[in-house]
Amino acid sequence: MSGFLQIQAIAKRWGHGVTVGPISLDIARGEILALLGPSGSGKTTMLRLLAGFETADGGRIAVANEDVTAVSPAQRRFGMVFQHYALFPHLDVGQNVGFGLRGKGKGDEGRVGQKVSEALTLVDLAGFERRKVHELSGGQQQRVALARALAPEPRVLLLDEPLSNLDPALRERTRHELREVIQRVGITTVFVTHEQEEAFDLGDRIAVLNQGRLEQTGAPDELYEHPVNLFVATFVGRANVFRGNAARALGANGQGVLVVRPERLRFAGAGLPGIVRERRYIGAAAFFVVEGDDHERFEVLAESDAAKVGERVYVEATRVIAL
Amino acid sequence: MTVRSRRSDIAAAALTLLLAWLVIYPILVVAADAAHPSALRAFLTRSGEWAALWASVWISLVSVILAAAIGIPLAFLFEWFDFPGRKTLGALIALPVVLPPLVGVIAFLFLYGESGFIARAIQSLLHLQNAPWRLQGSVAILLVHAYSMYVYFYLFTRAGLAKLDVSMLEAAQALGADRRATLWRVIVPLLRPSLVGAAILTFMTALGSFSAPYIFGGGFRVMTTQIVATKLNGDLPLAMVETVALALVAVAGLIILRRTEGDDILVALGKGIAPRPRPIRRASVRRLATIAGWGLTVLLLLPHLTLILVSLVPYGAWTTEILPPVMNLANYRRLFSEAERLRPMWNSLWMAAASTAVAVVLALAAGWLVVRRRVALRRAIEALLALPWALPGTVFAIALAITFSVHAPLQLRFVLVGTAVILPLAFLVRALPLTGRGVLAAYRQLDPSLEEAAASLGAGRWRTLMRVTLPQLRPGLAAGASLAFVAALGDIVASIVLYTYETRPVSIEILSSLRLSETGVAAAFGVVLMLVSAVVLGVGARR
Repeated sequence: MSGFLQIQAIAKRWGHGVTVGPISLDIARGEILALLGPSGSGKTTMLRLLAGFETADGGRIAVANEDVTAVSPAQRRFGMVFQHYALFPHLDVGQNVGFGLRGKGKGDEGRVGQKVSEALTLVDLAGFERRKVHELSGGQQQRVALARALAPEPRVLLLDEPLSNLDPALRERTRHELREVIQRVGITTVFVTHEQEEAFDLGDRIAVLNQGRLEQTGAPDELYEHPVNLFVATFVGRANVFRGNAARALGANGQGVLVVRPERLRFAGAGLPGIVRERRYIGAAAFFVVEGDDHERFEVLAESDAAKVGERVYVEATRVIAL
Repeated sequence: MTVRSRRSDIAAAALTLLLAWLVIYPILVVAADAAHPSALRAFLTRSGEWAALWASVWISLVSVILAAAIGIPLAFLFEWFDFPGRKTLGALIALPVVLPPLVGVIAFLFLYGESGFIARAIQSLLHLQNAPWRLQGSVAILLVHAYSMYVYFYLFTRAGLAKLDVSMLEAAQALGADRRATLWRVIVPLLRPSLVGAAILTFMTALGSFSAPYIFGGGFRVMTTQIVATKLNGDLPLAMVETVALALVAVAGLIILRRTEGDDILVALGKGIAPRPRPIRRASVRRLATIAGWGLTVLLLLPHLTLILVSLVPYGAWTTEILPPVMNLANYRRLFSEAERLRPMWNSLWMAAASTAVAVVLALAAGWLVVRRRVALRRAIEALLALPWALPGTVFAIALAITFSVHAPLQLRFVLVGTAVILPLAFLVRALPLTGRGVLAAYRQLDPSLEEAAASLGAGRWRTLMRVTLPQLRPGLAAGASLAFVAALGDIVASIVLYTYETRPVSIEILSSLRLSETGVAAAFGVVLMLVSAVVLGVGARR
């Protein structure tokens, strides 16, 4: 199956020997793809290559089988929501949203006005046309930026850390609203984030990037349960890494590294021995930090009264990821 | 009300009164005296007066257009494109600012005047009987204005471009705007505050310009030269009416230009990252840009070089040759060995230093009261600090000359004209907007929690001021103070109205040297002013 948005061996070489790619990805029509990675992993470069703000040093980008690698950002018809929104401060909300609509049908003021109001209604800001952008709250600015990007009916929507500028309380709600709008429009979307929770919640599929390389692509549960390497295992979700004796005590055979999620460990009568050093209560359960005999530390998620600090315990794994 | 806030209110009242006495009172005295029926009638009926007023206005407007036409393209070239020598040239291109007005004008005289370097070269190359042109009238004035004032547009536009958020431009592109559309629909509107700021500064400077019309005007009079001529003729009532007329034009111009500034849209959303300069890829264009850049720089530096050249030629040694036959340091030796020539130098230096120092102290007090204590009178204090900027220097010179030539202590008028105090006082008035703006802007950016942190660490008020506040304010303070010092050092406008022989500053000495045809000495004075200005501005611009 060939995707709607095809990225083929795209690469960008910066000075100082820093290279992003070559990366290949196929994104289906209407799919939401998250580019997840720590800072410096190349995820923003990828997004800017897609938008056309950076020129690739190799590879090819195609939308609906049309090669757009050399197409300028202005001709590419990709909508973009910037990290700090980049709303034009000299224009009001309506003029911002209408910015990409003008010049297509000149003199068609009424049509533009209607499209603007439709776009604003979509993001639940109906009637905000004459507001000044700096009078809006952060969440409202974010929605105006989204409406502005969607108004010209782009082929692909690009979002650069769409929620990083919002305070945590607002983030979760905005995330759901964002997902709802994207799904209602049905637009193919690529967004960049460094937060696993955001990627899980918003993305149909996640591409994990590290040091300019694509580590793994897959649905959230696939990445969580079947990470292909240690980086993905530890970057996506909480993970305990066991080697040597400890790994063997949990059932590993040979010299392999064992990754176990905290909720896949439990206290038992036998297994890996250790002493509980810390207990972090999180409400429904508690994280227990256990120090093993080789001074390795790991976390166990269990009932909040499962153990006491200072207690000697044995731990067994219900499910392990062998790498 | 706490003791502390009552104390700052008293301090604010005292500062407001002091500033009002310095800045507004003399203007009011002149305005009241100018309501003299016969002088008013003389002004209204003489066509020369109206011609001078109109000349002031149109010269200023054309100066704005010329300065914009040179400065804005240069700013784009140097901010957005990369070519060999970009950094060096970009700095050199601002060098007209180190020429005080009078020095710039005499450099132009030596370079492009009818017996100047260029005219002489052409005359001898083509074997002409007479000089090929006369540098006179409005064309000469506009030439000097364009040369010295494009720097405002260049610097303001560059600063505006540097603050531009690159994501704004990318957002426009992502929405389908091509380069032209991005320029007109995004860049120009965002630059508007910078452009209007440069236009206002250029207009005000051109309106108050005195040296160029004074040296090159000939029969062509603008209001500043008209006022000084009337004053020298002894017709004080008419001079006052003229002063008020010029002040009104200045205020009207300011109000109209401010209108074009539009709403305050400077509120930046998010952090701005300026676009990187783009390398010019095509080799031919690259070479062209480089050649044009260097050629332009040489053209801009010709006045400086000419000044240095002329300063090295002893009295009477250079008559008809293209290049001077003799060059030595005789003029500089005379400058530093003859007591009568050394004096104007000391006069200028101490008067500039004293006026700047007082202006700095007043600005600091104002900054503390306005920004930190937020006193009730803060708007009044800010307006008073800014006012001298809105009026040409000649207006203040005449106002001070009239207000402080009468002994009436009850009216707060004292005889200061003829003493060593009057010129520093005039410089102080002109310095207030510069130091005030620098300090207030710096104070506003200063995070109050820094001072609170110092206090919580046990630092007293004095220690907090010296160790935290002043070091933080230093860049703004240094920038404002260096501009004020350089303006006072090269002043001609106030000096020509208020000087006495004992307190004559360098600019007056340059004029009298010119009158005695001692061009070498005049040029040497000019070089010294230029170097001191360059050093002071360089120090003031350090971050």
